[in-house]
Amino acid sequence: MTALTPPAPGAPHLTRWLIRLHRPALLFWTAVVVTVSGVLLWLGGPLADASAAAWRAYDACQASACRYDQAAILRYKDVYTYTTYAVLAAPFLVAAWAGAALTGREVETGTARLAWTQSTSPLRWFASRLALPAAVVTAGTGLLVLLHHLAWSAGRGRIDTLESWYDPPTFYANGPVVVALALAGLVAGALAGLLRRGSLPALAAALGFTGLLWYGVQQAMPHLWTKATAVTGLPPTGGGLGVDEGIVTATGAHVSNLTCGNSETDDCLALYDKFDAVGWYRDYHPASHYWPLQLTATALVLALTALLTLLAFRLLHRETGLRTGRST
Amino acid sequence: MLEYRIDRHSGVATYVQIVQQTKQALRLGHLEPGDKLPTAREVVEATAINPNTVLKAYRELEREGLVEARRGLGTFVRRGLGAAPADSPLNAELDGWTAKARAAGLDRDDVAALFTAVLDKHFAPQFPERTAATQHSQGEPS
Amino acid sequence: MTDTALEAAALGKRFGRLRRSAGWALRDCSFALPAGRVCAVVGPNGAGKSTLLALAAGLTAPTEGSLTVLGGPAGQARARVGFVAQDKPLYPQLTVAETLRMGGDLNPGRWDARAAERIAAGGDLDPKARIRALSGGQRTRVALALALGKRPELLLLDEPMADLDPLARHELMGVLMSQAAQHGTTIVMSSHVVAELEDSCDHLLLIGGGRVRLAGDIDALLETHARVSAAADTDLAPHTVVESRTTGRQLSALIRPAAPLPADWRTGTPSLEELVLSYLRNPEAKAAGAPAKSPEESVA
Repeated sequence: MTALTPPAPGAPHLTRWLIRLHRPALLFWTAVVVTVSGVLLWLGGPLADASAAAWRAYDACQASACRYDQAAILRYKDVYTYTTYAVLAAPFLVAAWAGAALTGREVETGTARLAWTQSTSPLRWFASRLALPAAVVTAGTGLLVLLHHLAWSAGRGRIDTLESWYDPPTFYANGPVVVALALAGLVAGALAGLLRRGSLPALAAALGFTGLLWYGVQQAMPHLWTKATAVTGLPPTGGGLGVDEGIVTATGAHVSNLTCGNSETDDCLALYDKFDAVGWYRDYHPASHYWPLQLTATALVLALTALLTLLAFRLLHRETGLRTGRST
Repeated sequence: MLEYRIDRHSGVATYVQIVQQTKQALRLGHLEPGDKLPTAREVVEATAINPNTVLKAYRELEREGLVEARRGLGTFVRRGLGAAPADSPLNAELDGWTAKARAAGLDRDDVAALFTAVLDKHFAPQFPERTAATQHSQGEPS
Repeated sequence: MTDTALEAAALGKRFGRLRRSAGWALRDCSFALPAGRVCAVVGPNGAGKSTLLALAAGLTAPTEGSLTVLGGPAGQARARVGFVAQDKPLYPQLTVAETLRMGGDLNPGRWDARAAERIAAGGDLDPKARIRALSGGQRTRVALALALGKRPELLLLDEPMADLDPLARHELMGVLMSQAAQHGTTIVMSSHVVAELEDSCDHLLLIGGGRVRLAGDIDALLETHARVSAAADTDLAPHTVVESRTTGRQLSALIRPAAPLPADWRTGTPSLEELVLSYLRNPEAKAAGAPAKSPEESVA
């Protein structure tokens, strides 16, 4: 028999073929990132300046006949809203692609098995399926978040209707939590694709998971950092990312109430009387808590993502692993 | 180069067909001493049969002293068979006889039946059973 | 190279423990396939042929028992094993040339580009054609080119010829046989049509109901079985009866003789197809394994 030469050392070029196979998706993602980035730069520069100028004109005018560029104000606000939601859509976009195309379709059509019977183990294949997309997603989403933050900051103190830092869409689009969520979507999609239920169910599962995770993060967010408490007179005033609020009674006790915060309806006035209200307390996060909250939430999502990654690798290893089998 | 034709429905074992066709070629002078038989690879590529079947046929031919395997070079014809090459007088006689049979109105099957009957009268049958030939598949000289 | 290409010991695979369709696809399978053989894996649809090939290719792990591939656990010899799945999966968006180039990239140090291109070229394939535009037979050709291009020591083919017209079937089978003759490649191919594999294979693995029914060298298996006819009241003991049928005063049976047969029985050697069908028709007949002959030496 002809002896075969032992395989020469050299790594299979998995990444090159990943790029080739997903070239349309990569081009689409690049186009999305470039477009939204361009719009964000426009938003933070000319649009913010025009809006600020309009606000200056508006604030300066005393008389009833005021001349200010209302269109500039509205344009900034509209474009701000659109781009914010575009940034927030990134995790869903990534999750949908990962579920349907990254692994789901390959498992469904059998090309995953084709790849696993070349000189690469399924685990290496899966690692290559995650590594480059994770880098591309981090870079793309990170860039969007950074530019969004800059565009938002450009309006601070100059545009009166600028969204506050704790407005939920603004809060997320401004910080790294979205990047972590996009990575979680990527891994969730890749894992769902491995479960052999077809690419469409994997897509749905990845979207659903990302939505649920986001909802969970939103619920947990107020409790991720030590809250501050402020007591004001009635009617209550003040901002910040709210945790809890309610009535301060004459004895100094706090009675939680989330409905009367800014209201003097009859029901609320009756309530104030009932508890002998002397003031209003608010447990909240001031602007200084912005980064601690963002970073804690990011770390939490990343930890969960790591867990999902581990789960996916274990699943694949169990299915295709090098076990010699166990006797039962 | 000799080309084997394998008839899957003939009922004759595949390796026997190769042996028979090789002998036929030796008889007709298509193969002469010193000629090289096709390699197993060439045969199986053309016929899609198992390589071991070809090797088995070649070993059978070798056992009969008709061919010899030269390591690394291939299998070569050692001696021819019979004395009836394609251009011999016997061939011409048979050719003339066949023409006469055809002129007398016999068709192909009639001629074949007639010829086989005469053959059987003069010679013992050659490959009676497949099992009989498989018994010496091991331990021949090489 | 090890002498045994494939060795199963009490191999079992169960699918979907949690699903309704939970069940054993393979159970208690033990057999050994010597290296250098061309093995037919035969059995009815759903018998477990594909499962066995997937296990050997390291695509799925056994539930119990073990499967040794080229001397190590299945899955460890990936670089030395070629596999073509039944549905011939390929990336539809790639061209034929790209697919072969990918084969080279994913099998560094082993790839034989010329051989792969030669196999693909045999079908008048345009290298620039996209996989999605190919016919079933053309896809089979590309899939085989991809599997053979890595110069495997063990080639696993699941129903490789199903999509091919007779001409292409004959030609590609010739390519496979020439691969076996030239490199001593062990080839394992499954089919539910015995006749398709009869001339090309020298080893048989008959699978029925998830179990190995018959395993061994085909010639040896045929020699150790006999087709007999005798009077209807004949006692077939002590021979192992695979199948027997009585019509009128005549008993015909397929048996595994345990002793020389009486002279008044008419006996004959069964054909491979008769043997396979007899075992499949009689699930209760005891599984038989014939000692494998030593692999024959290749002449290049």
